Amino acid sequence: MSSEYHPKIIGFLCNWCSYAGADMAGTSRMSYPSNIRIIRVPCSGRVDPILLIKCFQQGADGVLVSGCHPGDCHYNEGNYHARRKFALLCDFLDYVGIGKERLRIEWVSASEGQRFVDKVSNFTKEMAKLGPRSES
Amino acid sequence: MDSELIQQIRNQARSLLESGEVKGIIGYERASDGLTARPFFAYEPAAVERLIFDETCTHNLTKYLLNKKTEKMAVVVKPCDSRTINLLLNEKQIRRDMVFVMGVACPGVVETSWNHKDGTLQARCKICQLVEPLVYDFLARHEAVERPQGEPYRDVQEMETKSVTERKDFWVEQFERCIRCYACRQVCPGCYCPECFVEQLDPLWVGIRIAPKENELWQIMRAFHLAGRCIGCDECEHVCPVNIPLSLLNHKLEKEVKELFDFQAGLNPEEQPPLTTFKKEERLGFEE
Repeated sequence: MSSEYHPKIIGFLCNWCSYAGADMAGTSRMSYPSNIRIIRVPCSGRVDPILLIKCFQQGADGVLVSGCHPGDCHYNEGNYHARRKFALLCDFLDYVGIGKERLRIEWVSASEGQRFVDKVSNFTKEMAKLGPRSES
Repeated sequence: MDSELIQQIRNQARSLLESGEVKGIIGYERASDGLTARPFFAYEPAAVERLIFDETCTHNLTKYLLNKKTEKMAVVVKPCDSRTINLLLNEKQIRRDMVFVMGVACPGVVETSWNHKDGTLQARCKICQLVEPLVYDFLARHEAVERPQGEPYRDVQEMETKSVTERKDFWVEQFERCIRCYACRQVCPGCYCPECFVEQLDPLWVGIRIAPKENELWQIMRAFHLAGRCIGCDECEHVCPVNIPLSLLNHKLEKEVKELFDFQAGLNPEEQPPLTTFKKEERLGFEE
């Protein structure tokens, strides 16, 4: 186990759903990998692509952006805009050699603590398998 | 040089200046190497004799309109440049009644450098679908123009067949050479922010160090800010002093936008740009 790579993962979580979802996981005493460093944002639509590129530049192995399910946005349409933006960005990251699997977009609501745990565990496992970005 | 075409441009320019309809003409003149072209501003009717048009007129002159918003200008545009006019109209950067568009039916332009011009068309001209400008007030036309219809996005498809590691090595090598002179930005008609994110100091988005990581951040974000907006004039690539294939980045995003949102920049000044709108029912590869 000790030889396994511990990836650094940055998570941008929407204040109104996924952040509360993570909170729910915590208060329900569910455990998930501590590799993820969570940053609370007001909406997944607020996450500018430069934040993600900057994360990769500064040594993150993976970045998770998590927002409300489409249709459930607190600001009505923030996550729809995010969806378009990140659909483009995913392909573009792949193209410039960062790899599309290192950017993950998930929809997690405030009540889905278990879903949050599953998504983070999965993502961490995949990133551990992929190894550090500088060597991939 | 097609003297009849040039005569048409000069006549139109002269009558525009003499009637006072426009303040000036933005066109091309012969550069001092006697072979290539350079941008030229004509403010006097006598100056129109310096205007030319030939296969070395590669510049996208619409960039200059952004500095001339208060006075009506006439600008010489090739079909590709006319898409910029549509883009700038769409983004409310210029007013249609403040610009007189002098369109030129273009047979394609060639690669040029100081005192040198190639015999072959530029890569973008080989895949160009336009023979006439999409928007014009006056059209200079001489001989029927025929275009080789190459297949678009060949370069991108070739790149896509490589593995992620190969692509990474390729781009690291390219970005390493970048000296961040920002010539690509200065020449781009789509880059008109009063303050660019690379020049913001608080927060400092991009470190001032000229190093591979910072360069990568700049190059990725420059391209991404033009997603769905780049009209493919390839000016950024032409001015790049270290020859980074910037069009490869721009074309990729152009292709993605076309495939995902069925949109091409600069074709219609009324169409809603894809990243300012959405469809509720689309999935775009993400699960619900």
